[in-house]
Amino acid sequence: MSTLSLTIRESFRYRGHSGQWSWLAHRISGLGILAFLSIHVWETAMANYNPAFYDWIVTVFKNPFFGVGEIFLVGAVLYHAFNGIRITILDFKPEWWQYQAKTAKFAWALFLIIFIPLGIYLFLAIGTYCTELAGEGSSCWAIPPFPG
Amino acid sequence: MTKLTGVTHRKVQVPSNKERTAFLFMRLSGVFLLFLAVSHVLVQHVVNSVHDLDIQFVIERWSSVTIRGIDLLLLFFALIHGVNGLRNILEDYVHSAKAMKVINVLLVVFLVISLIFASVAIITFNPGT
Repeated sequence: MSTLSLTIRESFRYRGHSGQWSWLAHRISGLGILAFLSIHVWETAMANYNPAFYDWIVTVFKNPFFGVGEIFLVGAVLYHAFNGIRITILDFKPEWWQYQAKTAKFAWALFLIIFIPLGIYLFLAIGTYCTELAGEGSSCWAIPPFPG
Repeated sequence: MTKLTGVTHRKVQVPSNKERTAFLFMRLSGVFLLFLAVSHVLVQHVVNSVHDLDIQFVIERWSSVTIRGIDLLLLFFALIHGVNGLRNILEDYVHSAKAMKVINVLLVVFLVISLIFASVAIITFNPGT
């Protein structure tokens, strides 16, 4: 456990400039995407094996709690994709390595330009969904009963 | 910004080995996933909405064989890319070769079971029921 906290602390402490933050963001976003993907793969397979369970879990995912998680997921996928392409290009074009700091900033800029409007849009969609359910007399926070 | 001058870079021909194959797979699948995963996220989360998701949506979506094929490709590329990425991260922090062997077995078991469970679900899905 002390190793774990040391690892986390040192990941943030080391002063590797922009490359350090790209590396850290790539790792964290990758782990986050894998965590969601593992759940997503099993949950979606249930559409075949147990449709009633699928409808239940999908309703749970409409909860604003997961809605916020969804915004993080979209951000993680976008950053991981853009930074991943940067890594791939530099791996195969080592002569461009002198521009790595610039490309790191470019990946962040591209990510922010695309993610910020999408994030706002997704956040507003949560509000629309909750207003709709409130109009029907139910709550977007309610967890439906687990199917029999 | 310090400009690197007189930098020498060498391209070294590495003999084929597992780590080299894994390295190349991460780059190659990464390029595929730029299109597959990013378009999947944009279509399913932004164009469509999680709020409209139910079994009826899946029936309509998986009535197309093309979409099933794309989803299968996405499943295999994304999950293998992700599990290998996790292995890469763990290798940085787990220093016991024995523990790493156990972790590798667990990761492969998880990967294979997930791939079978999900691809059977996609292939045998019957939109009629």
